Amino acid sequence: MKLRSERLSIDDYDAAIELFYERGWTDGLPVVLPTPGRVEALIAHAGRDAQESLGAIPPKGGEATVEKLAINAVMGGCRPEDFPVVLAAIEAMLDPVHNLNGVLQTTHMCVSLVIVNGPLARTLGMNSRDGVFGNGYRANAAIGRGVRLALWNLGGAFPWDTDKSTLSHPAEYTFCIAEEEADNPWAPLHVERGQPPGSDAVTVFACEGPHSVFCYGTPEEMLHVLSDSLCSLGNNNVHVLGQTLVVLNPLNAEEFARRGWSKDDVRRYLWENARRAVADVRACGVVHEQFRKMERDAGRYPARYDLDNPTTRVPVTARPEDIHIVVAGGRSYFAAVLPGWGGFGGFAVTREIRRKP
Amino acid sequence: MIEFLSPVWPAATAARPAAKRPRSLEGIRVALVDDNLDIPFTTRLESLLAERHGATVRRLVKPSGTAPSPAVLIDEAARDGDVAVVGIGL
Repeated sequence: MKLRSERLSIDDYDAAIELFYERGWTDGLPVVLPTPGRVEALIAHAGRDAQESLGAIPPKGGEATVEKLAINAVMGGCRPEDFPVVLAAIEAMLDPVHNLNGVLQTTHMCVSLVIVNGPLARTLGMNSRDGVFGNGYRANAAIGRGVRLALWNLGGAFPWDTDKSTLSHPAEYTFCIAEEEADNPWAPLHVERGQPPGSDAVTVFACEGPHSVFCYGTPEEMLHVLSDSLCSLGNNNVHVLGQTLVVLNPLNAEEFARRGWSKDDVRRYLWENARRAVADVRACGVVHEQFRKMERDAGRYPARYDLDNPTTRVPVTARPEDIHIVVAGGRSYFAAVLPGWGGFGGFAVTREIRRKP
Repeated sequence: MIEFLSPVWPAATAARPAAKRPRSLEGIRVALVDDNLDIPFTTRLESLLAERHGATVRRLVKPSGTAPSPAVLIDEAARDGDVAVVGIGL
């Protein structure tokens, strides 16, 4: 296999690891050394041309060739079988709808979450249940980190430089989950978004870290607390719409389904009820209001909401379908909401995970 | 000896020379590219450029403050402006 990347040789393992720090090629953690053998194994497994480019990664525009992505995936701990998921995630992030350029450089703390669906997630041993956003599972950790290292090394948005995130969050290291599909009464996310049942896909969505929601009881009780959690005044959605994510645990979903609620019923209820009065959102200040008006002037804020009337109740997204719902986590008392970046981008994009032809 | 591959592309070595800077804005065409988030600020800047420095200002609006300007808008700024002032950041 002909690889084009610069080859470096060093006779000491520790010195090799240190070299990645010295050159700014790592996110702050040590890496797995991308030896030619390891990199070739990933490319061979994907069955793709090593020089095929998925596009230029912003802001600095490094070409995301299969070879460079494989090098970064190895560094993040990926096995060959994990690599097709990394490729699909990068492909999804490079869709202009996601506005990766903005996501990587905004002052907001959103990070692109990778959600994996389909039987491949089980084959790879991905966690979709207890502690799903946490540690302990190689595929979740390595796929997520492989993606982040590719953005780091090819996109080159660094903190204190062009990554202007005010606070950011630990997902900058890795942010990848699988949806729980077995213990789930509803169609999985990727099928809702147009992929065939039984297929493998990733969905990327730029969002804040998971906010815990104490969510247990009847559908009405769960919806009451979820609605309130979605429209917190500190999130962008309540000011400038965009998209948001709700993660229900399997017990939550089971309770909804047992009482006859479809996923879409839940989504529509949340859209109708996760609202704040204009008086509330205006009390946040003039900057928030300017953003809102800018979005309205740009045609992204529906004209039907009278923003000058203090009693108008504004939603968190322009349409119900902009509230994404995923089932994951342990069968317990907690759900999560992950607000998005607002109307500026980071929107969800789904891509098939291509297997070797 | 451990051999491994670089995760980055080599830095571009051929830097493009910077365009010549005008000594004054008097009579200069300025393309002022903005996302219209803060219209009073941009309007004030436009006035200062015109009244204090004698520039002719052409306002161009980016569709989004969070994404680069479309190529057509950059071409327009280059065609209609001797210099450009571009607002960034959100």
